[in-house]
Amino acid sequence: MELTNQVILFIGLIFLVSILASVLSARLGAPMLLVFLVIGMILGEEGIGIRFDDIQTAHLIGSLALAIILFDGGLRTSTSSFRVGLKPAVSLASLGVLLTAAITGLFAAWLLDIHWIYGLLLGAIVGSTDAAAVFSLLHTSRLELKQRVAATLEIESGSNDPMAIFLTLAMVELILAGQRHLDGTLAVEFVRQMGLGAVIGLGGAWVAARGINALPLTPGLYPLLAMAAGLLIFGITAAAGGSGFLAVYLAGLVLGNARVQSVQNIRRFHDGMAWISQIVMFLMLGLLVTPSELIPVGPHALLIALVLIFVARPLAVLVSLLPFQIPFKEQAFIGWVGLRGAVPIILAIFPLLAGIPEAHTFFNVAFFVVLISLIVQGWSLVPAARLLGVQIPASSHLVQRLELDLPGQPDYEMVGYQVDVDSSACGRNPDALVLPEGVKTVLVIRNGRLHAPAEINALESDDAVYLVTPLAHVDLLDRLFVSRRAPQLQADKRFYGEFTLNGTARMADLAAMYGFVSPPDAADCSAAEFLIERFGKPVVGDRVRVGPVELVIREMDGDHPDKVGLKLLQE
Amino acid sequence: MRLFQPRWFHHPLSVAAHRAPGNTESGSQTMKISELLAPERIRIAAEAGGKKRALEILSELLADTSQDLSRNQVFTSMLGRERLGSTAIGSGIAIPHGRIEGLEESIGAFIRLQDAVDFDAADGAPVDMLFALIVPSQCAEEHLNALAALAHMFSHADFCDMLRKAEGPEDICKLLRGFETEAQQSPA
Repeated sequence: MELTNQVILFIGLIFLVSILASVLSARLGAPMLLVFLVIGMILGEEGIGIRFDDIQTAHLIGSLALAIILFDGGLRTSTSSFRVGLKPAVSLASLGVLLTAAITGLFAAWLLDIHWIYGLLLGAIVGSTDAAAVFSLLHTSRLELKQRVAATLEIESGSNDPMAIFLTLAMVELILAGQRHLDGTLAVEFVRQMGLGAVIGLGGAWVAARGINALPLTPGLYPLLAMAAGLLIFGITAAAGGSGFLAVYLAGLVLGNARVQSVQNIRRFHDGMAWISQIVMFLMLGLLVTPSELIPVGPHALLIALVLIFVARPLAVLVSLLPFQIPFKEQAFIGWVGLRGAVPIILAIFPLLAGIPEAHTFFNVAFFVVLISLIVQGWSLVPAARLLGVQIPASSHLVQRLELDLPGQPDYEMVGYQVDVDSSACGRNPDALVLPEGVKTVLVIRNGRLHAPAEINALESDDAVYLVTPLAHVDLLDRLFVSRRAPQLQADKRFYGEFTLNGTARMADLAAMYGFVSPPDAADCSAAEFLIERFGKPVVGDRVRVGPVELVIREMDGDHPDKVGLKLLQE
Repeated sequence: MRLFQPRWFHHPLSVAAHRAPGNTESGSQTMKISELLAPERIRIAAEAGGKKRALEILSELLADTSQDLSRNQVFTSMLGRERLGSTAIGSGIAIPHGRIEGLEESIGAFIRLQDAVDFDAADGAPVDMLFALIVPSQCAEEHLNALAALAHMFSHADFCDMLRKAEGPEDICKLLRGFETEAQQSPA
């Protein structure tokens, strides 16, 4: 009894400390995962003294946490990002991982003087970028990246773990079988794992989406139903010999983009679950390692990490992205964000479980590499983004808003705003608000009393306004309610320029209006066509200088630049 | 540096273009906004039912017999620019502009509307203050500098609040001059 209570107290305390530590990490700019990992190490056998070396349990917790993180990552990835990110990401997730693993592995084999197949095992272990690390950095460090970069990184990190896992398991099996060469069975195995993962993941999610829409449940149960479906899909796929990780990521992707009821609820719940999973997983991995054992492998591990970061990853990115029209600076950034995270450490458990000689060294090397990667790459991510110009001004969350699901209406959402005294909505009749198409004002709450919009003459500061909007227009509404003193608006202007042009504006007209000679290939086309010509698949934030002005893509409509910022350059 | 830029990077008119009134001995190319504007080309509490009407009012203010500039010319020029994209810059401000062949010097006009009108602004906000700028077509660089200066000026929320409260054309001129002196003293 007493022990139970103490354990509960202790767990509560650890969670609290970990969550509060995230505030600290935001201040320091350090990756949060690093903080959790360090807390785990402090709690561990050489710190406070908790002994944890049950590899089997570690593997179970790690895999479970990873499945949930990948599921959440899938739920959050919008298929609209496929437009620019899918093909490069898939190339990175397959060819890229293979190249990274091969280069790092061969270097490690040479450095540690081991057989190359052991080297490849080590390379595979550290071969994938980490979904948890990349997702959390992309979503928490107040960094808004150009879509081409963000989408590529996000889809890559979600889908490359299965590749690394596959390679690691394959190498383990080869070593156990005493084989010392690669053969065709590897390819067959690859097709089987990925094929099953894709089929069961996509199929299962389709069934799950139907189920969620068909079953009448208490609202609180829908997120749990979704999670159950995710875990089930993972389990079935793995049991059938496929890649459960690929399946669960794809399942999240389908569910997050399908018209499923309660989808906001499901996302919010999994956001929390993903956080818990990360905290638990990193704390556990911190506990699992014996810090003093890291020191002997330190010098070698450091060299391997440096080769991975500065040679293998950039080279793999360069080669994998060769077929795609991606600006060099963006490639450089993608190459730099090769964050390693929990996956390598969990993968390093596989050889331990299999009883492979050297496995212990591999575990420590992998752990060390992850530490270095989190410190070097994690910490420098934001400055690197700034340096390479891959950021765009944050478009979402200009202003606090409340979002509510409408039961049975997956295409619409209700949003609520507090009227700011400096917003353009303030002082205006609710009927005179210039609203995006399809948006309706439904309710105004003033001093705790409900009013129909027609009863209100002019909106006052601190009124709460509720509108029903098609999902596509949510961000547009923000602009009506944001304070005109908000610093983001100035940042917007600096980035996108003073004026906003229609994508359909003719280049020749612009040239005449602003006094420059139109580029020879553009005289006859619209600004949108000109930008498509330049970038292939343009994204928001792409910019071209023409004469004394700069054209900056501000809004996309599918593949077409819809609004183009005009920035006047002063010399 | 220009040597390395492709041919279309040059704006060939820029060198010849320099007759900006604010062009002082320092050789700076900044034109003074306050000098573009005269109290008689300012109207406060103007009534406009919509974007077109607001542009018409501005055209009337800008029409200038001494320069042989007709209302229609101005209106057509500004409307042509609006077709490329709204000149609203957000937070209720618009800066309609145009270039006109054969004009001798740049002029501006300012109106403040009684009721804000929808101006197809990117931020959806209706527009209640407009500064129109018409420049001779040979003054490319001057044009851009003036536009940038205007956009910069109107991006100050406090300054806009003062303009909204100003009681007459003279006040508005004074505010513009004040802003420029301040900007000169603390170049930020």
